[in-house]
Amino acid sequence: MTTVVEYPLSVAGMFQYHNVIGLLSGSGPGFSGPVSLALGRDGLLYVASRANPNQPEGVRVTRCTFDGDYVGEFSNWGEGPGQFIWITEIRFGPDGNVYLSDENTHRISVFTPEGAFLHCWGEFGADPGQLNRPSGMAFAPDGTLLVVDSLNNRVQRYTTDGEYLAGWGAEGEGPGQFRMPWAVAVDATGDVYVTDWRNNRVQKFDPAGGYITEFDGRDGGDGFERPNGLTVDNDGCIYVCDWQNDRVQVLAPDGRVMDTLIGHSGTSKWARTFLNANPDIEAKLNAATQNIELKRRFYRPRAVTVSDDGLVFVADCYRHRVQIYRRLG
Amino acid sequence: MTMVGGNTHPNDTQTNDRALIAHLLRRAGFGATPAELDKYCSWGYDATVEWLLHPEAQPGLDEDIIERYYIDWKESRNIEGALTETVFRMNGNAATRPLQEKVALFWHGVFATGLAKVLHEKTMLNQIDLFREHGLGSFQPLLERLARDPAMIFWLDNNFNHKDAINENWGRELLELFSMGVGMDGKENYTEDDVQEAARAFTGWTIDDDNVASIPFGKTPWLFRYDPDDHDDGEKTFLGETGNFNGDDIIEIICRQPSTARFISRHMYNFFVADDVQVPAWQSTPPADPEAIAILEAEYFRSGYDIRSMLRTMFTSDFFKSETARFARVKSPAEVVVGTLHLVGDLKFPRAGVMDTALECRYMNQDLLNPPSVEGWHTGKEWIDSGSMVERINFVADELGNVEHSGVRSMVDALTSRGPTMDANGIVDGCLELLGHVVLRDDNRTALVAQAAEMLENGADAESVILNALRMIGSTREYQFA
Repeated sequence: MTTVVEYPLSVAGMFQYHNVIGLLSGSGPGFSGPVSLALGRDGLLYVASRANPNQPEGVRVTRCTFDGDYVGEFSNWGEGPGQFIWITEIRFGPDGNVYLSDENTHRISVFTPEGAFLHCWGEFGADPGQLNRPSGMAFAPDGTLLVVDSLNNRVQRYTTDGEYLAGWGAEGEGPGQFRMPWAVAVDATGDVYVTDWRNNRVQKFDPAGGYITEFDGRDGGDGFERPNGLTVDNDGCIYVCDWQNDRVQVLAPDGRVMDTLIGHSGTSKWARTFLNANPDIEAKLNAATQNIELKRRFYRPRAVTVSDDGLVFVADCYRHRVQIYRRLG
Repeated sequence: MTMVGGNTHPNDTQTNDRALIAHLLRRAGFGATPAELDKYCSWGYDATVEWLLHPEAQPGLDEDIIERYYIDWKESRNIEGALTETVFRMNGNAATRPLQEKVALFWHGVFATGLAKVLHEKTMLNQIDLFREHGLGSFQPLLERLARDPAMIFWLDNNFNHKDAINENWGRELLELFSMGVGMDGKENYTEDDVQEAARAFTGWTIDDDNVASIPFGKTPWLFRYDPDDHDDGEKTFLGETGNFNGDDIIEIICRQPSTARFISRHMYNFFVADDVQVPAWQSTPPADPEAIAILEAEYFRSGYDIRSMLRTMFTSDFFKSETARFARVKSPAEVVVGTLHLVGDLKFPRAGVMDTALECRYMNQDLLNPPSVEGWHTGKEWIDSGSMVERINFVADELGNVEHSGVRSMVDALTSRGPTMDANGIVDGCLELLGHVVLRDDNRTALVAQAAEMLENGADAESVILNALRMIGSTREYQFA
């Protein structure tokens, strides 16, 4: 299992497995429960690890190359400025800075790409502008920031300094209503896509929050089961982490399911180094034949992003890695 | 000991029913909130027992929400995380499936398996799930599943039990601690030869994946595997019966033994009815209530070893309902922690800091999923030492005194709404009632009433006096009894 040289295709053959970056680690090269990722202008991959209460040092943002060379990391666990308890989403702003949400402190924190903390904002509550477990974020073409205010069942728009501008949504199952929404993405025209988590759908809105349509990810089989992270590529295709189905659904702009990624992970560079130093563990992994297939697949994919040249990065959360696919054609 | 209680309800019959049902819920669950007691009283005692016995008919937890926030639990990879998840689930199910959780805790104490050796947290949690799912069914299939449980196989070395070199660890503990016990009525229940023959029957029962490393990409589940090439299929003689026994045959014979009925009945009595002597003494020390044990033994055989039937018999029996059975058990740390969390309404929705709360069980001497030995935890007064007692009191007082908890807020509001009748006596008795009809010794109650009266005379507002009374009751010796 640990040495895979093949490059398998996605279900419909539009994507090919390309590479994997990852290793369970509380510090240095590796991730600990990667929950979100973003591509920097510096050509680096930024991965936010949420870790767990017994491994607080694992909470961090890791910077690495697309080939899996470790560059550095910043931030850590805590409630102080620049720290996180439940780090949830990472996005780059039009100002080139890094924006991170925290569902526990109800804050949005801003860093330079190198990891210097700049400022944070956010206040707990249910009034307009206040937040109750902010999760997903996305920047609109006009430079404003959309934040999913998950337990208030709404999407709110802010300036990059945290000034509240507008919002929409309420609890429910109807158009424009949500049940614990998770993530948000914006396409080139400014239309907004929200994973309406407990309603098992993606809703599409115009830039002002007007309901347009919704997608259920059904392709003749199962539809979405608690969709979370999503992104939209330059062609308007929508990539949705279909969380409890352990897959990534790729939708055409009209919502039709085009392809499905299920995970084909090989052994990352970091993992290879570890296993070379621990041959006993590699022997046990190889001997556990019933689990070999399991270890290659996604296990609760939590975030997805796409580069301009067609690389698809998936935060494979419970396997502590980022699987990378390349779009063909 | 002269007892007086918070029996201030205008309808004595109803009050007595409430006290009895509160007693039932302390034993078959983790206590009940005042609103839940209202509901159970409206159903009546017997209907409540039936409801408790069928947790599968009630909704389970919102697993998606749990997983959304506690992302490390799906492949739980440290002892503290596994303990935390266990406490959270017990508390989460305390309103809807209380007996399921109590039975899981019961079997965890009997079939004590620990992370000190297993080192695969999810596999341990899967064992607790086994108890949740099958702990109310027949004892025979429960034992059959236990014998295939990867955590148990690893815990008692059955993966090292080979056809040409037996390891008797599992075979021995199966007899000694999991089913028959060493002896009863002064006699031994089995011989050393029976242990060896039982071990032979379980050769080849192993696991496929015993990797305990989280690195590089998290843990994967351990899985049961039967290796027929490593199984000793030869003739065996066990408890006087001879055949080419496999593991399930051994379990079938075990379940027919009167000693097994005695062993399970004594465990049930000690866990659900009243503290008794500990397991090592059972060979030579008769049960505290032989008649009760005889009733349970008879139901064991009548029902085909059905645990649900035995519990129904027990909960509806006079020996369970009697006044002498009430507050006759020292609460286990899990009962203290989960019972208090449930009462105050804390940790019903995922929040940060849950581990710090759950670890209170460890500080009180019950490290869930990590018992001190295969014998499990000693119970009763053995739970208590000076350190654990301080932990108990501080934890309960902190929780009951926190008016930000919805359950505490409700209790305060309920009492303040009673208006001017809430003098010092009314406040103390009202608090005793809302905490589950707790019964105090005369002198303790008198002291609390005097303190409440003094606070009122000094101008304290009703809420402060109520919160103080709740904290003080939570600090009493009596609150430590179920």
